Amino acid sequence: MSDSIVRAQTATDRKIQSGSPTEVGLALLQARTRRHFLRSLGGGLGTLFLGAMASKFVPSVNAAGTETAALDFRRDPRTPLSPLPPEFTAKVRRVIYLHMAGAPSQLELFEHKPDLKRLDGQDCPASFLAGKRFAFISGVPKLLGSQYPFHQAGQSGQWISDRLPHLEKQVDDICFIKSMRTDQFNHAPAQLLVHTGNPRLGYPSFGSWVVYGLGTENQNLPGFIVLLSGGKTPDGGKQLWSSGFLPSVYQGVQCRSHGEPVLYLDNPQGVSRSLRRSMLDTIADIDQQTYAAFGNPETVTRIAQYEMAFRMQMEATDAMDIRKEPVSVLAQYGAKPGEASFANNCLVARRLAERGVRFIQLYHWGWDSHGADAKEALNLGFNDRCREVDQPTAALLSDLKSRGLLEDTLVVWGGEFGRTPMRENRGGQEMKYVGRDHNPGAFTVWLAGGGVKAGISHGQTDEMGYEIVKDPVEIRDLHATMLYLLGFDHHKLNFRFQGLEQKLTSVKPARVVAEILA
Amino acid sequence: MNVPNQNSGQNSGLSTPSRQGSLIRFRLEFVPLACMLVVTLLVILFPPDGNERADWLQFIGRFHTLIVHFPIALFLLVPVLELAGRRPRFAYLQLSINFVLGLATVAAVAAAILGWCLARSGGYSGRLITQHMWGGLLLSIICWVCWMLRPRELRMIYAVALALGVGLVTWTGYRGGQLSLGPNHLTEHMPNGLRTLLRVEPSASTAVIADPNTFYGARIQPIFTARCITCHGRDKHKGNLRLDSFQALLRGGKDGPVIHTGNTQASDLFRRITLPSSHDDFMPKGKQPLTADEVRLIELWIGAGASDTLVVNAIKNAPSGSAIPAEVTFVRVDPDAVAKLRSTIAPAVAQLQKQFPNILDYDSRSSADLRLNASMLGGRFGDRDLEAFAPIAEHIVVADLSRTAISDHSAALIATMTRLRVLRLMDTRLTDATLLHLESLDQLESLDVYGTAITPSVLPMIAKLPKLLHFYAGETGIQAGNSVSKDLAGKLVF
Repeated sequence: MSDSIVRAQTATDRKIQSGSPTEVGLALLQARTRRHFLRSLGGGLGTLFLGAMASKFVPSVNAAGTETAALDFRRDPRTPLSPLPPEFTAKVRRVIYLHMAGAPSQLELFEHKPDLKRLDGQDCPASFLAGKRFAFISGVPKLLGSQYPFHQAGQSGQWISDRLPHLEKQVDDICFIKSMRTDQFNHAPAQLLVHTGNPRLGYPSFGSWVVYGLGTENQNLPGFIVLLSGGKTPDGGKQLWSSGFLPSVYQGVQCRSHGEPVLYLDNPQGVSRSLRRSMLDTIADIDQQTYAAFGNPETVTRIAQYEMAFRMQMEATDAMDIRKEPVSVLAQYGAKPGEASFANNCLVARRLAERGVRFIQLYHWGWDSHGADAKEALNLGFNDRCREVDQPTAALLSDLKSRGLLEDTLVVWGGEFGRTPMRENRGGQEMKYVGRDHNPGAFTVWLAGGGVKAGISHGQTDEMGYEIVKDPVEIRDLHATMLYLLGFDHHKLNFRFQGLEQKLTSVKPARVVAEILA
Repeated sequence: MNVPNQNSGQNSGLSTPSRQGSLIRFRLEFVPLACMLVVTLLVILFPPDGNERADWLQFIGRFHTLIVHFPIALFLLVPVLELAGRRPRFAYLQLSINFVLGLATVAAVAAAILGWCLARSGGYSGRLITQHMWGGLLLSIICWVCWMLRPRELRMIYAVALALGVGLVTWTGYRGGQLSLGPNHLTEHMPNGLRTLLRVEPSASTAVIADPNTFYGARIQPIFTARCITCHGRDKHKGNLRLDSFQALLRGGKDGPVIHTGNTQASDLFRRITLPSSHDDFMPKGKQPLTADEVRLIELWIGAGASDTLVVNAIKNAPSGSAIPAEVTFVRVDPDAVAKLRSTIAPAVAQLQKQFPNILDYDSRSSADLRLNASMLGGRFGDRDLEAFAPIAEHIVVADLSRTAISDHSAALIATMTRLRVLRLMDTRLTDATLLHLESLDQLESLDVYGTAITPSVLPMIAKLPKLLHFYAGETGIQAGNSVSKDLAGKLVF
């Protein structure tokens, strides 16, 4: 100690002679006495001790924040997507989620309500309106019966409207939940709730949670792929497949529906694969140095993503190329290579499922049938929407089934809320086109695949299809059920963030809907 | 009573003990001793029998929980005073020790008497109450002994007795806490972090596990376990009744059997759970009544003969699992047990995982079964590669070899995967030769040969697989029109 002070003194003298600007810094060094050193040493040791103890008492506090009290989701940072076994034996290994953005009308598709049809055109009873908030309905709206005839289909005899002639052939493989409920009545927050378990921004989407918990089997493809079907992006935006507070490597990878699936994936002209390789190695070296200096796990994520992109060069283009399918399969889906369509995406979804992609999220758009214009009228645009999804959805189910994949795949179909049994009367006036307003109180979601009872309906709404009278299922219950099928107790798939063991089902109690489990 | 001994007398400069004082204390000392004898006799002659007596005895007995804290605090004060009194600065404390000991003895005896009253009349019996009772009695005797020994200069024996007493206070007090707050009252709400650090296991139910394939084991015992055994279990047998095993249930309680086989109305257990909750005999006392479905299940079970061998689905109109909001149960993963289960194959698995990354893993975190999915490797995975998995073949329960380059040479190896539930051979070069080899796969539930050159000649062999549910035969030589048995037709998927 005293030696160093002597050395510092001489150095200071020299610096003073040379007029160096570090004089102040050295003077500060000098001012630091042995007592200062010992005092801070004591404090420092105490802090170290406390830190060590705290890490014992609270096992989930560690540098990367990826450890949890219950289950360990840590991986080698270089392979953040490597597969992990589920908590217990899983019924399904992968999920294909078909989100119908805009909230399709359950009353025109799956909810057969003859009493509503009978009362069509009459004034809505006051009890329906008391204490309710609507997006557009004002005054006293008229009741609106289903616009399309219903009939029973399949061995299970479930009711379905005539708008889905292909899907009705698969009805015996489908489990309808007719008593879904949400607490959001605007599109963006309701979509966020369906996708992330939370109506606010900043939470990881379902797919991110699943890939975080299970990783993905095929390391040459992203574990969570998102496909849009042209039209408009869902109101919830890219937040719907964001990884929120999870490491960003778990976010959904949005692939383009036509042209190259991922832009700039191919090597530019004159760049060989080996050249690309050596370039990536150099970048990885630099990133490693950055990581060593700052310890930000996102740096490792970046390295992993470069590596995945390199591996994807081989496989992604092939997986997304539906031209490789026989004509008969293209016809089955109604797919036309080259265009952006839900049909193409359904076929891609099957190809991705075969290749071990964990979570495939498909969007369809334009289901917001207010009746404010022709495109979103129940009697006009709605028909086009049904046509766009009916055949591909049915083909996806039957194709998965014949390949034996449906038994360990979960297919989910649904929007973000339901629609009212009242006709929308924007501004209190009868509108030119027929439409319905938002109804968060009841809507239909269906599931098909492994571990789910096939050919049943769960839950029930009143005669008007307005409110649930039996077995309500909250969004968080649906999430808990899906996680259960994937082999997780929804409490255990968690991530410590902001002092809370965050989970998909958030903080309210969620229940696995045991009644629909096979 | 508070006569100082000679040492303390010198220290504090107070007068030496008088003869008269000793005499008074002599008498005083034997009052508690006599009381103790009485309690001991009471405890032996009238032990707590689990019968509840709602009379003055219980009224007095309830004061036990109030009084019991005095001997605890007073007795624990003694070693504190002894230690502090050794320092000259606190020497005066020594003067009070005998007084405190005397008070502690009186309080301990009072607590013991009241304790007997409560135990005898409050419907207690069982291991916990016996231990607590004898602990309390022994403690009051030790109290008395300490009180006697201290002035008599028998320092060594006194010190030993004091130490024993402190230990006994702790143990008896803990038992008392278990009686009133539950067996794991100290660790019940322990934070998880601390729990891991101290390796405290969350307490498990103490009920005897009944066969889950019986109606009793699956539907009845869980009700008792959830609703009854806190008072009628291993640690407390109120009313001398235990409901933690079928044998104990048949034995009944203080008034004889609580179940009359086949006669619901004569069964006291059924009568009590169906009374209005304000009734004196209502059970579970002071808790939420059993749900309608729970009552119905018990009613049906007693009506059907109250047997523990009746199979789970024998009673047709029993409220189904879904009528009672059936909750799925999440099984806790015990890492040590899993590690033990995997110990024989773990090195081989680790080796294979290194050699073939991402294609082999355990079925779940709680299982030693394996899943093999080589389909992503496609043509890069062939017969040679599959051979590497031979050492662990019988642990594989799901194998996906779709689109791989394996050929009929692998048939023998696949046939050794005898525990396979799911086998996928989609779009491979395999032929009938392989399939005809697979008769040994008697656990197979799902077999997928979509897109292979399989012909209808394998169908008789497929029909023999006992557990098979689905046979995916699309795009093969097998057609929907092939004549197959009705049984197999239901399993074929195209």
